[in-house]
This record gives sequence, C-alpha cells and structure tokens, in this order.
Amino acid sequence: MVDLDKLRTVAKETVSRDDVKYLIGWSQGTFGYRVSPHFVKTPQEVDSLTFSPLCSNNLATYLTLTEKLPVPRGEEPDTRKVALMVKGCDSRAVVQQLIEQGITREQVYIIGCPCQGVVDLQKVDEKLGEGVEPAQASWENGQISFQLPDGKTEAFPREDVLADKCITCRYPNPVLSDILLWDEVEVWGSDDYEDVKELDSKSPEEKWAFWQDKFSSCIRCYSCRNVCPMCYCEDCILDRLNPTWMFRSNNVVENTAFQVARAFHLAGRCIECGECERVCPVDIPLMKINRKLYKEVREKYEFEPGLDPESKPLQASYRPDDEEDFIL
Amino acid sequence: MNDKFEPNIVAFLCNWCSYAGADLAGTSRIQYPANLNIIRVMCTGRVNPLFVLNAFQQGADGVLVSGCHPGDCHYMEGNYYARRRFTLMRELLEYVGVDPRRFHMSWVSASEGAKWKEVVEEVVENAKAVGPFDQFRRNKINW
Amino acid sequence: MNNKPRIGVYVCHCGINIAKTVEIDPVTEYASQLPNVKVARNYSYMCSDPGQLLIREDIEKEGLNRIVVASCSPRMHELTFRKTLAEAGLNPYFLEMANIREQCSWVHEDVEEATAKARKLVASSVAKARLLEPLEEKEVDVEPATLVIGGGIAGIQAALDIANAGFKVYMVEKTPSVGGTMAQLDKTFPTLDCSACILTPKMVDVASHPNIELMTYSQVEEITGYVGNFEVKVRKKARYIDMEKCTGCGICAEECRLKNRIPSEFDVGVGKRSAVYLPFPQAVPAKYTVDPERCLFLTRGKCGESPKCADACPSQAFDFEQADEMVEFKVGAVIVATGFDVFDASRKPEYGYADYDNVLTALEMERLVSASGPTGGKIVLGKGDEAYTPKDIAFIKCVGSRDESVGNEYCSRGCCMYTAKLAHLVHEKIPDANVRIYYMDVRAFGKGFEEFYDRVRREGVRYIRGNPSEIFKRGDKLVIKVEDTLTAKALEDEVDLVVLAVGLEPRKDVREIIDLLRLSQSGDRFFLEAHPKLAPVDTATDGVYLAGCAQGPKDIPDTVAQAKGAASSALILLSSGKVKVQAQIAIVNEATCRSCGYCVEICPYGAIEMVEANRMGHIVSVARVNEALCKGCGACVAGCFSGSIQQKSFKDAQILPQLAVLGVK
Repeated sequence: MVDLDKLRTVAKETVSRDDVKYLIGWSQGTFGYRVSPHFVKTPQEVDSLTFSPLCSNNLATYLTLTEKLPVPRGEEPDTRKVALMVKGCDSRAVVQQLIEQGITREQVYIIGCPCQGVVDLQKVDEKLGEGVEPAQASWENGQISFQLPDGKTEAFPREDVLADKCITCRYPNPVLSDILLWDEVEVWGSDDYEDVKELDSKSPEEKWAFWQDKFSSCIRCYSCRNVCPMCYCEDCILDRLNPTWMFRSNNVVENTAFQVARAFHLAGRCIECGECERVCPVDIPLMKINRKLYKEVREKYEFEPGLDPESKPLQASYRPDDEEDFIL
Repeated sequence: MNDKFEPNIVAFLCNWCSYAGADLAGTSRIQYPANLNIIRVMCTGRVNPLFVLNAFQQGADGVLVSGCHPGDCHYMEGNYYARRRFTLMRELLEYVGVDPRRFHMSWVSASEGAKWKEVVEEVVENAKAVGPFDQFRRNKINW
Repeated sequence: MNNKPRIGVYVCHCGINIAKTVEIDPVTEYASQLPNVKVARNYSYMCSDPGQLLIREDIEKEGLNRIVVASCSPRMHELTFRKTLAEAGLNPYFLEMANIREQCSWVHEDVEEATAKARKLVASSVAKARLLEPLEEKEVDVEPATLVIGGGIAGIQAALDIANAGFKVYMVEKTPSVGGTMAQLDKTFPTLDCSACILTPKMVDVASHPNIELMTYSQVEEITGYVGNFEVKVRKKARYIDMEKCTGCGICAEECRLKNRIPSEFDVGVGKRSAVYLPFPQAVPAKYTVDPERCLFLTRGKCGESPKCADACPSQAFDFEQADEMVEFKVGAVIVATGFDVFDASRKPEYGYADYDNVLTALEMERLVSASGPTGGKIVLGKGDEAYTPKDIAFIKCVGSRDESVGNEYCSRGCCMYTAKLAHLVHEKIPDANVRIYYMDVRAFGKGFEEFYDRVRREGVRYIRGNPSEIFKRGDKLVIKVEDTLTAKALEDEVDLVVLAVGLEPRKDVREIIDLLRLSQSGDRFFLEAHPKLAPVDTATDGVYLAGCAQGPKDIPDTVAQAKGAASSALILLSSGKVKVQAQIAIVNEATCRSCGYCVEICPYGAIEMVEANRMGHIVSVARVNEALCKGCGACVAGCFSGSIQQKSFKDAQILPQLAVLGVK
C-alpha cells in the first residue's frame, strides 16, 4: 500500500546523499487533478512529494532531457546521480534508456513505486466535471477515491477512471529499482490488443479514413515527441531542414508522414507509458498506433522493450530466420 | 481502376545482388514494364524505411526494396536488418491505411534476371490495381 | 573548386544499344535544361577515348565540377569514368551515372516509354550529382601472405606460384593429405599421363617449400578483416599422432584391430583401411592419422588391453590426449580452391546404384583400374571365389549433369572425356571386352579431345545415342532399358558392369565457405565470380579469389590455368603492397549523435566504436567510424534515428533529392 511517510523518508535520505544531484518525484499541482514533476534538491523540500492515482507523468523523460542544458563556462559538469521515482511503466523507460546507453546505470538511483494504475483525467472530468481548485485522489480497496476541493469525497471503481494503458498494464511493478517503497502489487492486467486487432481488420480505405481524420487535427506541437522518454535526439530529423525529410507545414500529408515516422522510430522501443497520448492536445489516439507496433514486435520477434537492460535493441539486431512471408 | 493509369514506382536496389540482377535482365534483353525507376544503394541495409514515406509524399504510387537473398548479403547482415525494418514499416503503413500492394520487398540475386522481371511485373500490376496514390502526395495539399 | 555545381551531362548512344530505343537528342536537350547543368552532350561511345576526351575537355574549358554520364550500368564503367575525371584533375567521386542501357533501353521496347524513363533517370542522377562531395581514397598496407583453402591441384598450383614469387602461403586442407580428386585418378585424358606421376612431385613441393606452411587435417574457422588484412583462425584437428615423431612406417595400421574394416575415402569405398591410416601411399605429409569417429579407443575408451597401434609404434608417436590446436595468422589475400563433390548416383534410383554391386560410379571405376588401387589395377568384380572379370561393360553419361530433375542444368565438362578415357583403359586391360557408351551428346571441345574420342571409337568402343530409362537385374546380368534415338529402336542391353559417368556438384559443405567469406553462389550453386568473362577468378569480396572446380566444373588443364590466374591476381595485390580502401564510407556527425550505440551493434565489421566527446560541457559518448574497417554498406545509416551517421556518396541529403525527381509523374 502506498506509504507517503516512507516515500518522504526515503526521499530525504536520498537527497541527503553526497552522490545524488537531485531527486525527481511528483508533487501536488496547482490546477484541478493535476500533479506536477518536482525536482527535489534539499531535504526540506521532500514534504511536498506525493504518490497517487494522479501521478501520470513519466519522469524518466527528464533523465535525457535535463542533460541537454549546457554547462556554464568554467564549471565542471555535475556527474552525480539523479534519483528518480518510477512506476512500473516508468521503470521500463529507464531500462530501455539503459539498453540504448542514453544513461548509464551509475547515473541513476531508481526509487520504485509499485502502482495500482493512474487515472485518465478525461474520464475523471466526465464524472466530476473539470475541476479548477486542486484536488487529490487515492487508491482505496479497488476504488479510486477523489478528495474534492469542497471537502467532499467521491469514489469510483478503478476500471471506470483508470487510463486505458493501466487497464491492460502487465508491469505495474518497477522492473528495475534500487529501492522499492512498498510491497509489489498484484498484476491485474492482460493485453490481447483487441483495439489494434479491431482496426487492423478493416479495409485499407477505412483505416486511411480513420487516421486521416485523426492526423488532420494534429497541430504539430511536438508534445508527443517531447514528452516521450525514448525521443531524446539532440536534433530530431523530423523537423530538421537539411535534409528535409518532411515539411513542417501543418497539413494532413505532412502530419501523416510525421506520425508514421514517429511511430516507426518507437518500434521495439515504446514501453507503453502512454504519455504521448495523454499530452496530445487534440486527442489523437497515439497509443493505438504505438501499440500496433508493440504487438507486431512481441508476436514476430518475441521481444518486449524495457525489460532487460542486457538485451540488444530490436532495430539493431536480427535473427537469420526472422519471418519474411511478404517478401517476393 | 482506370486502365490507362500507369503507376510510378521507385525501387531501391542493392548494388551487389538486385542491381546486378536488373543489369542481367538488361544484358539478357528481358522486357518488362517501364514504370519503375531504380535508385542504387550499396546495400538494402542502407535504405532508411522513412524513404518509403518520402517516396509516397513525392508522388510514388508504389515502392520496392530489393536485395540479396538471406545469407547472401555482400556485407553479411545488411539485408537481415532491412528485413526487420521493412517488416515493421510495412505493418505500420498497412495499419494507417496504405494498401499493402503499394510496398514490396524482394530478394533478387545477381543471377536472377528472370526473377527481376517477375518482381517488376508483380509490383507494377499491384500498384495498377490500387490506382494512383494522390492522397499522400505533397503537391496535392489537403488542408 | 567545390563552389557552385557546374554539371556536365553526357548521354551515350552505345552504338545503337541505347539509341535504338531511347531518343538521344530529346534526352540531351532535356538534360541541358536541368538546374546547374552547364553542358549536355551526346556521343556514340562515351567509354571510348574520344568520348572520354569530350568530358576532359569540357572539365577544362567549361569549368565543370560534376559529371553525369548516362550510359551503361555503373557496375560496368563507373571506374572508367572515375579515371577520366581524375585525369582531368577532378575528384573521381564527382561522378554520377544514369543506367539507361541495362535498366532502360535493353528492357523496354517502346521508344516513347524508354525515352521518358531515360529522362527521369538522368534527372535523378543530376539531382544527386549537384550534392556530391569530393572523397579521399586512402591506402592501407597489404600483409604479404596468402591463405589457400583446399589442397587439390588448384590449391597446390596457386600456392606454388605465389610461394615461388617469394610470398608466404598458408595452405589449409581439410583431409589428412593434399592431392584432392586428381590424386584419385588413374590416367588423365587425353594424353594418358599417369595422374599420380604428374601430381605427386607438386604435392611434395608444397610440403617442402620454405614459403609454404602446410596445414592438413585442418579447417578455417574464422576470417575477419578486409582486403590486405584478413585475420584467419585455423583449427588443426588432433591426429592423435605426433607429427614430429611419426615416420610413416605404417606398422600401426597393420596392427589396428579394425584393419581392412573401414571403407577408404580415397578408394571411394572400393578399398578398406584401418582406423589409423594414411589416405593413400603417396600422401603428403606421409604421416598417419587416427580416425576419431572409428578408433575403438577414442570412441569407447577401450581397445583390448591397450591400443595395439600405440604399442607397436616404434617411435612412440601416439598421443591419445592430443587436442585440437588453434592457429591464428594474418594474410593479405585468400584463394578459395575447395573443389567439388561427385554427384551422388543414388539420387538417380532408376540406375540401381544403391541396389546393385556392379553399378559403379566413374570415380569408383577410376580406383578399380588404377595400378595403385585396391585390386592393383585389375578390373575384377565380386569377392573371393565369386570374383569375375566383366566382359560386357556399359557407360552411361550425363548422370547428374544436364539434368533438371536433380537440379543440375549445367554440363560437368569432364565426363565425356573421362568416359572415353575409362573406356580406353577397359579395352587395354580386358582386350575382349565389349564396351558401349550411352550418351546424349559428345562434347570433345578441348585440345586433343576430338582426336582422343576418334581413337577410342577406332578401338572398338560403341557409342549409342540414348538416355537409359532403367537398369534392372535378369539372372547374372544387368539389363539396360534404352531407346537408341538415332535408329528409334528400343533396346534391352544385357551387361556385366555399368559405369555411371557422374557429374560434378558444389561441395556439400559449401555453406561453411560462404559463411566464412560472404561469397555468393551462381545459379548452378558454384561460387559466383565477379564477372563471368572479365573477372573469372575474382569475387565480389576484394582480395578473395577462386580457383578450380569451386567456381564451376573444369578439367585439369582449365583448373591449373585458373589457379595460375588466381595466384597472379593475389600476387598483384601482394606485390603492390598497398590497397585502396573504400572511400564511400560512413561518417558520424558527433554533434547530433544520440549515443544510443545502435550503429555499433549493427555494423557487421565492428568498424564503429563509442568514444567520449565534450558536448556543451558534458562528457557524452558518441560513435566514431574506423575508416579502414568500414566497407561502406550503410546499414548503420538507416539504423540511426537522428541521421547522425551518413554514408559518403549515399547521404540522406543526396538520396532524398533523387526521390523528389523520381516522384514526379
């Protein structure tokens, strides 16, 4: 069970360590049900840390993102560890980054938070209306209970408000951690990719129409890319000008190319944290496309990313007997 | 589909097997449709799957990637990597509604001039059957 | 020099090869309108001296800095035109070719279509040419040594030639002795020299040559590296006999409890050997080998009280504890002379090879007529009291050759003549024999072949044109069912002995060599040469050459000629001492490298490593390419998500414009 005292104690101990630069966790946000990432540098700050069904953010993104800041002239780079709080899915992002050498194991101290699933704010908004004042939530006996600003409490069955990725989640417990904050939770999810299969069974014209409808609303804000813990290129080729792989102009042809290319770059790398879909301001079902490739990779190559730090990256390996039914 | 429609196909051929196979088809005067234009690369391993997207955007109605048979790659492993990459790209394209008849991959060795003709014919026929791919073309902008 | 592109486009007529289906003038005119094109011309043969002169003059007069030649395949003339550019002082990699012959004029009949396609191909080449960059051709030293794989006549000849030229040779032979198939033959056609007599001196030369290191009963395990610098690992299999001590006296083989119980490989099963053996009397090296699969002591750990062979050995050469030994060395060139397998006649069940003792393959017959063979050269069938000398003898040609049903469409080239030779030898040994040869065609194409064929016919050998359909037993005789296709008569021919003139096939273990060296196979499954006419001993892998039947069926003179060719090719490399390495290699933009290391994993040559770099104060690891190891495949390039690794002359920025041109309808 979630033990916030334990979480804060461990956080305090961790940030006190000489070899830790800072800790990244979650803290109560300032708007509605939102939780924000929190960079803790001193023991005094730990009290604002929290863990709840609202902690959707995959903080592993910051492992590669923050390092992009230049070191001021005359200063040495701070090579101390980053302590990171991770849910099951987040830990897989860390593992995949380890596989890809985006970080080294010594650079990160992983604080594992076994997770019972986070909410989909859209589902919550539908039930409770869009809140403005900060509110909180917690897991309680198979339900998720919301403590509203007016003091009232409302509880819903988990499956009613959980994010879709959590309903099918098979890895709620961190796959890799230096310390686990509480007991592992029982795995509830299984995934047969029904949503992907359903779309797959349609005709090319129907599929094209479905995605054109979605991609036409893409505003190319690149939120999906920026939030993704696996998209850590210094310079993304999808908005690079020389050479121009695709135009930045916002029209459905370029948007389609962008989204297909983005999904392709995540093939065998996406760890299904669902952050891209969560942050998309125009509600493109991005996980539907990522999950398609996840399914194919799992079925064809018996590979799941972000589980074994020693595994070889899917797109940098092969088996001589890989299937090739379609090849003439 | 329109009988007069002549599809425009872009093909990436590896230098050692398929390009040589296509050369052999020429030396043997094997006739095949003129709808396909070849870009020579040293190995199918060089072909970035995103080239396929770009080809469609630039106006291709079909794309072919052809290399050495498994085990015969001049560079030992390039075609194996290509096979994985294009298996995934093909699944992805099909999933977003690109008719699978628009994208093909083939193994054509340096001695398979006759097979090259068959591959070209199949690729062209397939692209003819699905028709022009204007929806993905860059110059026909669909705001 | 490398400022604004000034492109020259040269459209070749290739006589009428291109001009017949591609309208040259409109293509030239079209090319002249393309961006950055300063000059567009056409000429009957661009590859000719005047054609090349045209380019050189334009480079000088017009200040051209990029050249597009629209002609034949770059696989044909890219090097020719690169030289042209270099002669005019232009970097040779400022060349781009449009293949409007093999991939346009020769494969399309419709002039309009072919012309339109040629235009597009030219435009695509121009689009790429605008963005070409000068490349540097670097040189690396060549290790002055050669690996010869296979110790048959091809390997022997190549090794001797190279060694005589003063270079080190490592010869690796799988079996315990050099000699190969030629050592098994009795006489050679058409001169009837004794095969062993002409071969054994060369075998001895190989073993005693100061420049040749002979490794028999050994296998190449691994070859890495590149032309001029191959690293070779060889497994010297344990012989369980100390090579230094063994005198070759043969007492051990006499004492072996399995004496005369194991079919001899050399005598293709016609004769028998012991578990410790010398493959044949003239074997080189003349050292015994214990067969680990047959030896009782090695397979069961027990051989009577103690192994009699070891006890009897006067020089205490036995060492049953001996282990395989791994040897590593560097060579600059590799010659593949791995030979062939004879066709397995049981794959033609209608000829009863597996069923009847008196159906033999030609190689078995060869051992039977050989003076050094198990019968001492007497043609005798059956054993003991049942032994008899066959009188009616039939040869059947093209068994396993020119036969699509067994997957061999090719002619094995030697069978016609060795059949004639064996027929002659039979006549010599059994003067009253009736010999007939069933044939499809007689191909007597070589020097002295036709004369020999005539001679054999004059000696009374009957040639009957027909392909037997079945062989079965009737009483003591074998019956050959066949239609004489010249008289259209169905025959049933009763004979005492049938000899199947089996063809040549690629070795069953050909895959091992393919995996070692990345060789390709041609349609007949033999190794593919770089060019069937102009580079018949080269392969697609630089520094690797072919000799003998590994490349295709051959008789002995052709094998020796090709071995000398392969030796000469290797010597060119070794004696120049330098080799140019790939210029079109991968290069990393360290500023955008995402450190993921995919390229390191992907590279088949281990040419990429991660090194530390400073990026805005942070120490990051970035990929770096070892230029000598990179072969320029580009597999890393397509695997790089950030486009940070690019292949020179095949950069994304150079290919994307080609796509833009080809996409236009």
